[in-house]
Amino acid sequence: MLRTKPWIPYLYLAPVSVLILFVFGYPIIAIFDFSMRRIRGASGPFIGLENYRQIFKDEVFQQAILHNAQLLLAVPILVIVGIVLAVLLYERVAGWRIYRTILFAPFIIAVPVIGIVFSNMLSLNGAVNELLRAIGLGFLALDWLGSAQMALWSVMAIIIWHEMGFGVVLFLARLLSLNEEIQEAARIDGAGWWQRLWYVTIPQLKDVTEFYAVVSVITMLAWVFPFVYVMTRGGPGNATQVMELYIFNFAFRNSLPGIASAVAVILFLITLALMIPLFQLRARTEMEGIE
Amino acid sequence: MSRKVLRISRRDFVKLAAGSAIAAGIYSFTRGAPYAVRAAGEKLRMWWWGEQEAPGLEKWVKDSVAMFEKETGVTIEVTLQDTATVISEFQTASAAGNAPDIQFLWNGIYHMESVWLGYLEPLNGLISDELLKEADATVLSIYQGKQYRLGWYAASLMWLYNKEMFDKAGLNADEPPTTWEGLLDACDKLKSKGFTPIVAGLKDGFWGEWYMGHALGPNLDSPAEALQLFIGELDWREPKYHEHWTKLEQLWKAGYMNEDMNSIDLYPGMDYFGAGKGAMTAIVIPTLGKQASMLGAEKVGLMVFPAGGKGKMNNKPIRDLQGLGVSSQSQYKQIAAKFLEFLHTPERVQAVWTDSKALPTDASWDGSAIEDPLFREAWKTWVANPDTVPYISNLMPVMFWTDAMFVNSQKIIAGEYNGEQAGENAQAVATKWREQNPDLLEHYQIWAEDLKL
Repeated sequence: MLRTKPWIPYLYLAPVSVLILFVFGYPIIAIFDFSMRRIRGASGPFIGLENYRQIFKDEVFQQAILHNAQLLLAVPILVIVGIVLAVLLYERVAGWRIYRTILFAPFIIAVPVIGIVFSNMLSLNGAVNELLRAIGLGFLALDWLGSAQMALWSVMAIIIWHEMGFGVVLFLARLLSLNEEIQEAARIDGAGWWQRLWYVTIPQLKDVTEFYAVVSVITMLAWVFPFVYVMTRGGPGNATQVMELYIFNFAFRNSLPGIASAVAVILFLITLALMIPLFQLRARTEMEGIE
Repeated sequence: MSRKVLRISRRDFVKLAAGSAIAAGIYSFTRGAPYAVRAAGEKLRMWWWGEQEAPGLEKWVKDSVAMFEKETGVTIEVTLQDTATVISEFQTASAAGNAPDIQFLWNGIYHMESVWLGYLEPLNGLISDELLKEADATVLSIYQGKQYRLGWYAASLMWLYNKEMFDKAGLNADEPPTTWEGLLDACDKLKSKGFTPIVAGLKDGFWGEWYMGHALGPNLDSPAEALQLFIGELDWREPKYHEHWTKLEQLWKAGYMNEDMNSIDLYPGMDYFGAGKGAMTAIVIPTLGKQASMLGAEKVGLMVFPAGGKGKMNNKPIRDLQGLGVSSQSQYKQIAAKFLEFLHTPERVQAVWTDSKALPTDASWDGSAIEDPLFREAWKTWVANPDTVPYISNLMPVMFWTDAMFVNSQKIIAGEYNGEQAGENAQAVATKWREQNPDLLEHYQIWAEDLKL
């Protein structure tokens, strides 16, 4: 048997470890460092937690957090509707392949394109309202993006429309890989469609559901910037202000990268705080499965 | 026919990958030494903006560079910047010690912050005093007696009105309103004839900035007063300083503005005017040609926004212009300055107008020879006129744009704010900016002294 010194494997691992530390570790450390400085140009004086103090007393930031939290309401919608649509496709209704493509299409369209198209469609005199007026539903013709009451929900609806396709394809792929025999056994035992869905199909989608929920939470917290930037720029007023836009404004408009970094740290920690229990839950489930 | 299969072992793959990485490293290392190359070839870099608002300027820039290169043997590499990154790109490059030699600069705070960070070179001494005066870049380009920008083309702000609609509403189409009461009366008559008196788009917020520039200025005695509001020596909650927002509320509640204002952007809102859907709108000079060609030049009249202010700046045209400056990091400041001087030779100045229909701001350029009466009037009143005022929104940092100018106007239109609440928000935003930028406050205070007229 070939015997090597115990530290040799670590030596082999060292280059990649250094690379990973540099790629992932350095930016995180740098952001933490920046968040405690008043950055002008490339660096600036250390000011402790002053940037954080400024952020927490800023009403605009509070609104941004609240709006991100409201956007999280989209997660259960994405999961539930995603599962329902995937199951319907799994039933192989006539033309299901075409429906699958149609449902997935929004996901591959570039967000700026979606933003521009929906901005026009949802303006007060845009296509949506013109259609509503034409069919006698003028009372429903609202200022979808121009009203503070409607704007965030309109943006959320468009995000759901865009993201839904990914969930459907994910759930459908899992459904197609399930063991047909279990379904068949349930059918022989007299289980109806709803019982098979609830007691057989959905439990088998648990791992995909968890994964999709995690991805959707990340999306709603840290991936909505392009939608908001193109469609509303955070307005009207601050009605669609979100943390990412707040970071962008401070980093690139207000020339205060220190404050932008502090918000980035907060966003990172919030995401982490939400992710850890989810991953723990998943690990526990897997352990239970093994046992 | 036999097929040759390419066989790569894991070891070969690792060797190939390592070789590629080394090659890429060597390539990027040699590419990463721009100064060595530049020093040998006297290659300058110019970052600019303007084609977006004055189509045709790109041709002018390219022609100018080609002519200068031919004349001097110096190479200039030009990059057209994106609107969103004009300031941040320059500041980031400067922070990294890799700034372009020549940089496009918007007026006021949009280059003054770079001055305070030490990224821009004063032009005094590099460029003759005569040309500095001739291509005046407005008082907002001067800090402690040093000028940091050379004027290029006019970006003055004005209002247009539809003469035909004025006629139909029984108004004098040759004499637009000059008082607030006159404006309200005109709006009332226009509305009663079924016209939308004022058209604008506010979704992206920028109209809010324009509006404040047009409507707050007339209540001030000098630009310094705007800065004093910002540095805390004056208070936005005083009625005088938020009256313009109260007036916006008045216009909106009376139904004098297009109802979809909050759901369309600045330029589509402006285009309502060109499409004949509204009687008055705010524009910047470079967009005059488009609106005139859309509506018909004979129907377009020019006016100063009749804000009905009580300050010395009331009823005066706003003069603003775009400009260029030299980086303090440039190794070729003299050459960069020579290029800027070349851009101001009579032939090049004339070419700004012929290539792009942007109005040059050089005092020696005679715009009275412009054949188009609309542009001639615009030049006479908003460019060559000595009795103009600077654009005060240019004194406010971006945070005040996004959090106060944009937000206040949008919230007033959405019915969430009245003028007083807008004033309170402005005060809160100014206070927030001071707390977050204590190091810049002193510069602002010095600048306020410079700007006392």
